[in-house]
Amino acid sequence: MAQPILKLENVSVAFGGGRLRVTAVDDVSFALKDGESLGLVGESGTGKSTVLRAISGLAPIRDGRILLDGREVPSPRDLAFYATVQMVFQDPYGSLHPRHTVDQILSEPLAIHRRPDPDTLISNVLRDVGLGPSFRFRYPHQLSGGQRQRVAVARALILRPRIILLDEPTSALDASVQAEILNLLEALRAEHGLSYILVSHDLAVVAHLCERLLVMQRGGIVEEMTADELRAGAVANPHTAAMVAASRGFERRANSL
Amino acid sequence: MSERPLLAIEDLRVRFKLRRGTVEAVRGISFSLGRERLGIVGESGSGKSQTGRAILGLTPPPGEVTAKRLEFDGIDLLSAGASQVWRLRGSRMTMVMQDPKYSLDPVMPVGAQIVEAYRAHVKASNAEAREKALEMLAAVQLRDPTRVLSLYPHELSGGMGQRVMIAMMLVTDPDLLIADEPTSALDVTVQLEVLRILDDLVSQRGMGLIFISHDLELVSSFCDRVLVMYAGKVVEELKASRLADAQHPYTRGLMRCLPKLEGDQHPLPVLDRDPAWAL
Amino acid sequence: MADTSTAQNRPGLKAWLLAAEPGSRLQARLGRFYVSWRAFLGNPLAVIGLVIVVALLICAAFADLLATHSPYIGGNLRTERLLPPDSEFWLGTDDQARDIYSRIVYGSRLTLLVVILVSVIATPIGLAIGTISGYFGSWVDVVLMRLTDIFLAFPRLVLALAFVAALGPGIENAIIAIAITAWPPYARIARAETLTIRNSEFIQAVRLQGGSSARIIVKHVVPLCLSSVIVRVTLDMAGIILTAAGLGFLGLGAQPPLPEWGAMIAAGRRFLIDQWWVAAMPGIAIFVVSLGFNLLGDGLRDVLDPKAAK
Repeated sequence: MAQPILKLENVSVAFGGGRLRVTAVDDVSFALKDGESLGLVGESGTGKSTVLRAISGLAPIRDGRILLDGREVPSPRDLAFYATVQMVFQDPYGSLHPRHTVDQILSEPLAIHRRPDPDTLISNVLRDVGLGPSFRFRYPHQLSGGQRQRVAVARALILRPRIILLDEPTSALDASVQAEILNLLEALRAEHGLSYILVSHDLAVVAHLCERLLVMQRGGIVEEMTADELRAGAVANPHTAAMVAASRGFERRANSL
Repeated sequence: MSERPLLAIEDLRVRFKLRRGTVEAVRGISFSLGRERLGIVGESGSGKSQTGRAILGLTPPPGEVTAKRLEFDGIDLLSAGASQVWRLRGSRMTMVMQDPKYSLDPVMPVGAQIVEAYRAHVKASNAEAREKALEMLAAVQLRDPTRVLSLYPHELSGGMGQRVMIAMMLVTDPDLLIADEPTSALDVTVQLEVLRILDDLVSQRGMGLIFISHDLELVSSFCDRVLVMYAGKVVEELKASRLADAQHPYTRGLMRCLPKLEGDQHPLPVLDRDPAWAL
Repeated sequence: MADTSTAQNRPGLKAWLLAAEPGSRLQARLGRFYVSWRAFLGNPLAVIGLVIVVALLICAAFADLLATHSPYIGGNLRTERLLPPDSEFWLGTDDQARDIYSRIVYGSRLTLLVVILVSVIATPIGLAIGTISGYFGSWVDVVLMRLTDIFLAFPRLVLALAFVAALGPGIENAIIAIAITAWPPYARIARAETLTIRNSEFIQAVRLQGGSSARIIVKHVVPLCLSSVIVRVTLDMAGIILTAAGLGFLGLGAQPPLPEWGAMIAAGRRFLIDQWWVAAMPGIAIFVVSLGFNLLGDGLRDVLDPKAAK
């Protein structure tokens, strides 16, 4: 059986100390198979974004281990890790440096990792995300939300990682733009053989893009299922069931007015 | 016997004269509202929020509002003086906004804010107003209204904050409530609870409601009629129950491009924006 | 790319600068600069400030051409002392029969020297300390901020006096003394900006690429602090000029016969009642230049303020 590309073993993340200690992630364990798209769903404050930050090294781990290709990840992470695992953030308006052009934003990771021929790599990745060369020297404030998110995806892609962590990548976008970005993510995954961990509060988005999903509540995983099981309604946990029911929409009571 | 419409709007336009040019946020929309629920759906930049603000006279400068007709219960809002609009706003027509974190005063306890909202428009003693505030907090199904009275906005969860907002906006028993994305900042399960409360209150009081949102499905399940806005204009108007019969390609495209839990297409059908829609 | 812009080339250059799809980094940068420039020009007071500062620069650069007499060598001590402004001596003469106008013109060089050197020394120090302090936080922040507090506690003039007492009077020591007291506000401003952006997602993104702290501070944090600091530096220049003039007035800055404006005021103090122009003219010069820097700083703030930027 193939080894999972990423594995979390009993990972806990807590902030603050003593009385003020807040446990954001509580004893979470799961594995990501190579080429798999895994979803992490939960409402706000359930710790799902913190899990991504723990994996990427942005949040300190209080307990547990994280294994990449069977080897424990170093803390602080090294360049080899960053070349393998990248992240796309939620807010298209906050994740790009306001004073850097798209070209500068994309050349930065190449310069840090000393990749040769940055010009070609930048043009290629812009084409991959559906932005032409005309976007190369624009500033973020000259781009729409969807275009900015494409640049964020390009930035994550340019080092040719194997895993991309997606933190609510479409929550801040309009519905029509969301569809474009979801299609883009799906196409890129097929084309480059990527593995995704997608965090979202939107069950429909997760069911669309992921094969398997984990439901989180209060920092811990309460249920695990495949997307098909979710669609079939085979949910055991009451919290998950409540989320599924809520995503079906509002049902108006019959009234006399 | 036909009642005078609560709101009669004809050719409403909202313009912003900026240094780099004039931006037209709303480009001539017309509709009327009785004691019913109207949904206004659109994406960002469609002008839906500016429409709501224009009705209440809350358009931020340098915005300019013009219309052939902008009447609330027969009162011409455009020619009415500032003091008259001020009297109407908050008492007979009110607005619930998206995030209670930003729409409630952070340095006052919420009870005091409801009391202030009440006494601004109704002659009442402090004790009477406090009673009314407690009544409203119970009406929005907050457990332990007395305790909530003394809490500060940052001590409330998202759902509680929004209920407080609804209580505050309905305390003067208005005829018209405009809700601008009232549940967008809330978790999905909390959204339903808040909508349920809004549903009951609006039905009981026989109010007119304008529900502004980007969520077409939600709006059509909550309202009687739906207006779809695109680039400052209304591109479609339909009965909420007849959503499936939508004609305009934008509305149809909007419905099709959403991922659905029950199953959908790979890749998702993408909205093909026709520049003709913005004309 | 257009070389010189004639009246016909103008529309071409403007279109190139404002192009929605710039073809190179240089074009994008120049385009942004052009937009800010147009915004700046829309503010008449700011333009006045800029004109005054440019006039100062021209004065300093072309002092040889603009002055009518020598600033150091006086004329006839019997007939040309303390003359009121007339057609030959445009702003009158001082008690050594030197032309005040020419001295003011040459004195602009000293003023400019002080302003430029102080800015060049103090700004990098302030930026470095502020950004490092804000970015790393914890004990680094505490230590650097207490250091800043120590320097902030010194009134400029008092510190300058101490310096001068130790090292002797002269314009070089005056510049060092002023620079040492000028950087703390810049550090504070840089630190405040850094704290705001330290946890932004675009900074996290660079950390996630493996960017070192030094790289992040220099390439990502400093560019965002620059606007606020530049505005503060420009507004401070008026104060720096006045401090230098104050030192000169006390005889601790530029030494005679250098035509430093503050020293000229001091020298003209004795004649204030009957020959008011000897002290008043350099005073007016200081006033105008300070005002110019203030207006320019205000104008820059309006243009560089991120909220107004879009």
